[in-house]
Amino acid sequence: MNLAHLHLVMNHVPTLGAVIALGLLLLAFIRRNEHLKHAGLEVLFVIAVLTLPVYVSGVAAYYEIRERPDISVDTVRIHQDAALIGFTLMEFAGFVGWVALWQSRRRGRAARRVVPAATVLLVVALAIMARAANLGGDIRHPEIRAAGAAAPAEGDPERFITSAITEVAVYSTWVWPAAEAVHFLGLCLSFGVLLAVNLRILGVIRQIPFAEVHRLLPWGMLGFGANLITGMFFFVGQPGQYIASTPFYWKTIFLMIAGANFLYLTVFGKAWRHTEDGNAGFEASLADKAMAVSSIVAWLAVLYAGRMLPFLGKSF
Amino acid sequence: MLTWLESTKLAVWLTESPSVWAFATVLTLHTAGMAVLVGASWVLDMRLLGVNRRVPLSAYRWVFPVVAIGLLVNVVTGVMLFMKSATKWGTAAPFLVKMLLVIASVAVLVPLRSHVRRNDADTEVSGNLRLLAIASILAWTGAVTAGRLLAYLVP
Repeated sequence: MNLAHLHLVMNHVPTLGAVIALGLLLLAFIRRNEHLKHAGLEVLFVIAVLTLPVYVSGVAAYYEIRERPDISVDTVRIHQDAALIGFTLMEFAGFVGWVALWQSRRRGRAARRVVPAATVLLVVALAIMARAANLGGDIRHPEIRAAGAAAPAEGDPERFITSAITEVAVYSTWVWPAAEAVHFLGLCLSFGVLLAVNLRILGVIRQIPFAEVHRLLPWGMLGFGANLITGMFFFVGQPGQYIASTPFYWKTIFLMIAGANFLYLTVFGKAWRHTEDGNAGFEASLADKAMAVSSIVAWLAVLYAGRMLPFLGKSF
Repeated sequence: MLTWLESTKLAVWLTESPSVWAFATVLTLHTAGMAVLVGASWVLDMRLLGVNRRVPLSAYRWVFPVVAIGLLVNVVTGVMLFMKSATKWGTAAPFLVKMLLVIASVAVLVPLRSHVRRNDADTEVSGNLRLLAIASILAWTGAVTAGRLLAYLVP
């Protein structure tokens, strides 16, 4: 099995997952049911996290098959551009959905326009992902192309968004270093926030009510957002060096674990019941403490795999 | 003296060992220490600037031992990394700028620490303290940026 297989296994996750999340959200609106709404937002967050390996494995699949004579490189590139826009919108939708979950945990319900905004973004992301999926089908299945539709025109590489990003990454002297600096600042911010939250759950910090460390989570998300943007810039700019790198895959896997942890930290209920009355000194359950340890370990693993990229693999 | 540092056993091991446990691991520990040190400092700075303003400052005493652990790791790994290429770093202006920014960042933590230790149930933050928090955020931002850019400015 290679990464092309992984892409084939995972490539329906963003579209099908978005349909499920959208269905839950629409049902929640019709029935005015908060639980359904939370379920829809949680599915949206998970799908946004899983869209990352779908994109990454797609680029790896391209590197597997691009030498073959029966593959039109331009067909792949057109699919890749659509997938990049779809990925970006999916992450936006996931982020807004996360904000709604965070607000719901704090105040019982999300601010008035946040859930509709997440839903609209999800609809747009789904539309673009569906187009990307259809274009992806064209790569190996010309027989399903709509009757009369021409093969995609041979493209000029300048036209592709992904080529434009590579151009900036390779030829600009300062954009890559500046993005590296932002990547490290974002790392410090999200790591600091996650350290505070997890040390609180572990009981190393006792005097701060859990509700107050929970308030820090958006700052952690800000740091992570900066790192997702700069990280994607590195990946889209120089995909070859990451595709060939084992620690990069470890980094992606640990990011998935860290993402699941982050969702748990955002929505889990036990700590809240103890802190709403200002009782700061509650003791988290053993399961919550295990979650806190796994969160710190997962983020350290992301950092370790990321920093070791040049040494265990060949990337810089 | 810089040449002597580079010829010590430790520096030679860091330069010549092909093991991932040598230079690569020291550099990664330096990054992890940075995340702990700068991240914990920023959580305190955010509190001083009004995030979680209802929590008494005394509840933030945990920040200082955590910062101390990160600082210890980074001083040890930083000295090792310096020794590996002492002649390069000892004469590079961007490296000296980074050192000044790190020293400034740590220096700002000293008055912050004595204030947080002194106050028990205090939730008020004076204007001076807020200025120190802003200085701390900016100085760490500069130190991290300068550190990361060393790889490009001092090839």
